[in-house]
Formats: sequence, C-alpha cells, structure tokens
Amino acid sequence: MEELFNNHEKLVQKANLAQSIKATQACIDKLTSSRNAIAANPKSASLTLAKLQNDTMGDFDLITKELKDVYKGQGSYSKALEKKFKDKPLPTSDYDALSSHPTLINRAIAMHLLREGQFSVASTFVQEASLNSSGDEMDVVSSSQQTPERKLGADSLDSEALRKQFANMHNVLEELRNRNLLPAIEWARANSKALETRGSNLEFELGKLQFIHLFLGGSSFNDTRDIWEGQQNALEYARREFDRFQNRYLREIQQLIGAMAYSPNLKHSPYRRIFCNDDAWEELGNTFMREFCSLLGLSADSPLYVAATAGAIALPTLLKLQTIMKEKRTEWTTQHELPVTIHSIMIEVIIV
Amino acid sequence: MAELTTTKLNAESHLLLDQPLLRLPHEVARRNFKTVQKHVERERDVVLSSLKSTANASLTGQDPEQSIASLDTMISRMQGLKRKMESLHDQEKKLHQQSRKRIQHLTDLYEIPSLADVKYDDWSKIRLNRLMVDYLLRCGYGESAKALAKEKDIEDLVDLDVFVQCHAVEESLRRRSTTECLAWCVEHRPMLKKIESNLEFELRLQQYIELRRNEKVIEAKQHAQKFIIPQIDIRQPDTSRAAGIMAYSPTTRAEPYKTMYSQSRWNSLADLFVKTHHELFSLPPRPLLHIALSAGLSALKTPSCHSKYASSTANASSSTTTVCPICSTELNELARKLPYAHHTKSNVENDPVVLPNGRLYGRDRLFEMSAKVGLADGFVKDPTTSELFNNGEIRKVYIS
Repeated sequence: MEELFNNHEKLVQKANLAQSIKATQACIDKLTSSRNAIAANPKSASLTLAKLQNDTMGDFDLITKELKDVYKGQGSYSKALEKKFKDKPLPTSDYDALSSHPTLINRAIAMHLLREGQFSVASTFVQEASLNSSGDEMDVVSSSQQTPERKLGADSLDSEALRKQFANMHNVLEELRNRNLLPAIEWARANSKALETRGSNLEFELGKLQFIHLFLGGSSFNDTRDIWEGQQNALEYARREFDRFQNRYLREIQQLIGAMAYSPNLKHSPYRRIFCNDDAWEELGNTFMREFCSLLGLSADSPLYVAATAGAIALPTLLKLQTIMKEKRTEWTTQHELPVTIHSIMIEVIIV
Repeated sequence: MAELTTTKLNAESHLLLDQPLLRLPHEVARRNFKTVQKHVERERDVVLSSLKSTANASLTGQDPEQSIASLDTMISRMQGLKRKMESLHDQEKKLHQQSRKRIQHLTDLYEIPSLADVKYDDWSKIRLNRLMVDYLLRCGYGESAKALAKEKDIEDLVDLDVFVQCHAVEESLRRRSTTECLAWCVEHRPMLKKIESNLEFELRLQQYIELRRNEKVIEAKQHAQKFIIPQIDIRQPDTSRAAGIMAYSPTTRAEPYKTMYSQSRWNSLADLFVKTHHELFSLPPRPLLHIALSAGLSALKTPSCHSKYASSTANASSSTTTVCPICSTELNELARKLPYAHHTKSNVENDPVVLPNGRLYGRDRLFEMSAKVGLADGFVKDPTTSELFNNGEIRKVYIS
C-alpha cells in the first residue's frame, strides 16, 4: 500500500494542474503588458508583436511541459495500481446468480436498513424502489394492484410493522446507552413467556442490573455520597420485583443481597465482579438485541452483513476453485454443492 | 491452537472486491486531465496563429488600434482558458482527496491482524455500506444512495456523481431520446475509439430507423449518407440491413427488419450504453454486492437451511441458538438458488442422547438447559420443539 500511497502523494503535492495554471497566467501577463506597451507607444507595435510571438510560443511550451509532468505522474500511479491488483482479478460474472432476483435483494436491503435503525434511508429506498419497478414490471402485473412493499418483493414482509418493531428496539437500546433500563425491563416483562421458553435470562439480568444501578446510587461507584440512599432504593426494588425470580434465580438473588454486607467497600469484595462491571451495560444491550430479533424470527446479526462479510472472506478460495476448474476442464459432479470447504471457524467467527 | 491461525486476516488477498474503489477516481482524473489537454491545444493553435497574423499585419502597416483589439481578444481567450483549467483543477483536487481517503481506508485493513478483531467488524461494516451504495446507484436509486452515504459519512468512498450521470443518460435512452447519449459519445470519443465501441454507430442507426419509421425518407437518406455509409467497411452486416430497411414498413414481419423496428431496441441501447460506460471507467459490469453475497451465501448455507424439517437454527422459540442468518427471512429465498459449500467438519456434542421424538442433543447441555428454564427434576425439554420428556425416555446414542 505504501507504494500506492507515495505515488498518489506525488500527484497531490506536485503533479497536478497548479503549475500549468501558473504558466498560463504568466502568458496572460505578457500578452497584457505587450498590449499596454503598444497602447503607450503605438510605433513599437511591430517590434513588440514580433517579440511577443516568440515569448508566447515559449509560454505554451512551458504549459505543455507542466502538463507532461502531470501525465507522467498519472502514469506511474496507474502502474502502481496495476501492480497492486495484478493478481486480483475482479471475479467474473459467472458467479452472479443473483441478478435475476432484484426484488429479493431489495427486500434484504430494506430489512437491513430497518434493523440498523436507518429509518429515513429505508423510507427513501422503499419509495424509490417502488417507483422504479412500476415502470419495469408493468407487463406482468398492473401496477395499481401493487403496494410499495409488494413491489419490493416483500410479500411476507409488512415493512411498516417491521419499522415500528425496530424503531422500538433502537429506542430501548438508546435508553440503555443513557443508563435507563426501564424500557428494556418493560419489554422483557411483556415478552416474559416467550423469553422463558427460549431459556433466556434476559428479564432477570435486566432486573439484576437495575438493582446494581440503584445500589450504586445511579452513578459511578466511586461516589460515596448517596450510598445509603442507593442501598435503600435497591433493597426496595428487590422486595418489589424479585419475587417472580425466586424459583429460577435464588442463588443470584442471595448474592446480590449478600453484597450489602460489604458496602461501602465493594471494590475490594468478592462481589467486585458483579458490581463493578462497566461492560455489563453493553453486554446486556447485545443480549437484548439478540433476543429481540429472535422473537421476531430473525437472526441476531444482519444476514446481509454476515453474508457479505463471509463472501469477502470466501472469495479468494472460490476464485482459486474457478481457476482450477477452468484449467483442468473438470466439473464438480454434485450440482448444488461446491467442492470446497470454507473453514467453519471463519464462519463461526462472524456469527458468534 | 491450530484453528486460530485460520482467523488470520490476509489483507492482500482480501482486496478482491476493492479494485474499482481506487480505479474509478483515477479514471475520472485521467479524463479530467485529457479535457485540460484538449483545451490547451486548441487555445494554443488559435492564439499562436492569430498572434502570427496580427504581427504580420502590423509589419505591413496595420493600425496599432487594430493590433490592440486583436490582443484583447487573445487575452480574453486566455483568461477563459485559465478559468476552465482552474475549475478542472478543483475537480482534480476533489478526486485526489477521494483517492487519498480510499487508499487510507484500504491501508487500515493491513493493520488489522485477525478476522476476529473488532476493528475488522467495523471495517467490514463500512465495506457493506459501500457495496450497498454501489448497488443502489446501479439500480438508479440515487436518492437512497445519497442518503445512505451521507448518514454513514462515506461520501468520499463512493461514486455518486459518476453513477448519477450514467443513470441520467441511461434513462434518456429508455425514454427514446438519443441526444444525451450522443453528447456523451462526443465527449468520450477518443476513449470509445480505443475500445472499438459501436455505441455511437448504434445510436446513429437508431436515429435512422426512427426517421424511416416516421416516413421521413429524404432525411433518412441524408442521415445515412452522413453517418452510416462511411462505416460500411467496418460495420457489416448492419450497414446493409440499414439500407434494406428502406424497403420494409414498420409493421413488417420479415426479419431482421422486424427486430430493427422493435421498440425494445431502445432498451438494448440503454444496456449497451451502461456496459460501455462501465468498461470505460473500469467498473465491473455487475454490482459488487452480488458477488459478495453469492459467495457468502454459498459459504454459509448448509443443507438444513432449506430442509422441510424444523431445524434448531431456523426456529425462533428454539433456545439452542439464535436464528441462523440464512434461515432468517431476509436472505432465505435468495440462498435457495445457490449451491452450498462442502462442510466436512460437523460439530456434534460429545455426549449425544436421543429424545423419543428423534432429536439429538448433548446430554449435559440438555440437562443444563432444562434446569435453567426451571423444570422439575426428572424432566427435560426439547429446546427446539418445547416438548417435555421424562428422563427415563432418553437414550444414549453412539456414533459409528
């Protein structure tokens, strides 16, 4: 990359149009001063013009020379690019099994934008995509029957309902980032049954963090001012809320309450790991997102992201395969299976 | 552990998708430069020759006022040239800025040691956004592309202007207008010649067909004289067909004239233009997102993804895992059309047991899970189907 960078810097610093513009200005200056000289002394006209003719020729030669430097600079950057990508041919379109399914890709993109919380981009996209396809697919179905979603190929996708769901998800996540657990707790309670079926600890984990948050006075654990009040609030919260968790999480609850004995010296207590864990918020946010998507029947990570990334990782292998098959003129006998293993750990890395 | 080495990031081979990222701004910069050269050459010829004739006229006793007037014309021409150069220089600076950011973006990849690194995740997200913008632009969804690029702050890493211009010309052809595309051809004539493009000829042929369609026989003949007959040596059999069409009316059923009259010829022209345009700018003919996705889907897909039996990874109420990305609604239909990679390694729990419903689980994990959901002792729950079973019904299985 360094060679590329250096070659390009030469263009930025030196081999650009700045010099030839300067030479052009010099040419203009000479023309102007000759013009003024003739105006001041009309008798000198012939002599001045004869000299000017020579000068201007020289000026243009200079401009051309400066341009040549730009040309050379571009040439060597071209060469550096060539070298960099010599052994990296663009994959040929043999792989493009997707071009006949634009609506499916559009749908995947729309869902990706929603799940990423890009609501305004998503709505622009839904609009644009539905406008466009009405022109192209007029022959197939009369366009008046089609809702925008349908034209996006989103038969099974109610994009408005999905938008609301994801808006809610991002709202909860945003609140979590602001250290407000209540919307998350509310959601977990509303979906308590489904979460329990999945064996998820999310609801309890949220309650636990709320307890810790109150315990620490809603501020950082170095602050000792409100420590007594914080403990009271936490205890009250535990009495009010933890009853429902008694069966499944008795041990954890006992731990939480037991920690009170170590206050205000929690930092040096065996409970340090439970109480002084700043990552807990982020981890819980991730768990929340995972559970939220699972209940919608969607994977936790964006499939578009996972697939595109896996694709970028797998491409060198697939290209090699393509080359070998071409060279040996062999064909893989099973039509639906590729003769390569793309190491599973690589895929696990992305999914996990 | 040996397996960890496979997560090593080899940036060099990872750049397969990124060639156009650097190529395009460079191609545009080169085109920019050629425009400057053209302007300079033209002004050089004009100014030098008019300077020569002014000097000669002055020698033969021309009024100095006349000479001053000619000089004023030359000065204003040169100022015009300088203005043009300056505006192209601004373009150049913008392009350099873009290229520099792009080189930096690729250099970042070289500094990430492992695929498991958080930084790779970030980088890869930027790449996905780039690929999506590229896809949106190619589909003509300019507004969405702009909005996404702006929101993600990657405007220097994507090529909004080039694609928007390309799409405008493409659309004009689909609206059955040749004006915009012909102007584009004139602007790029030297490069089109170099790749031996037939785009301009095809446009002229279309104009000719339209004249014939509208019974403007005289204009059609003049048009042919000017644009089609000169190509007679290199564009056979098209030129003969063009001559032949004079004898057939637009409603003819005789081939190849029927095809030539067909309105779908406009769409072919639009496709030809896009193909030529992308070739000229070193852009791949297909969206890079397609390439990445189809490779990725094949790599991730397993035979169970489209199996009619409920799989543990396709089931939202399953507690074993989250939903697998291929089974998730977004890509499931797309993945169905693609082959899957050969998975030689399968992960089987080392203490497998079978439930009465025929499902296999790891014994320890099954018990752990059942305890976690608060089941009474002596019972287990199938995490996929939520059925309850008595411990006595579980049987150990041996893999042979």
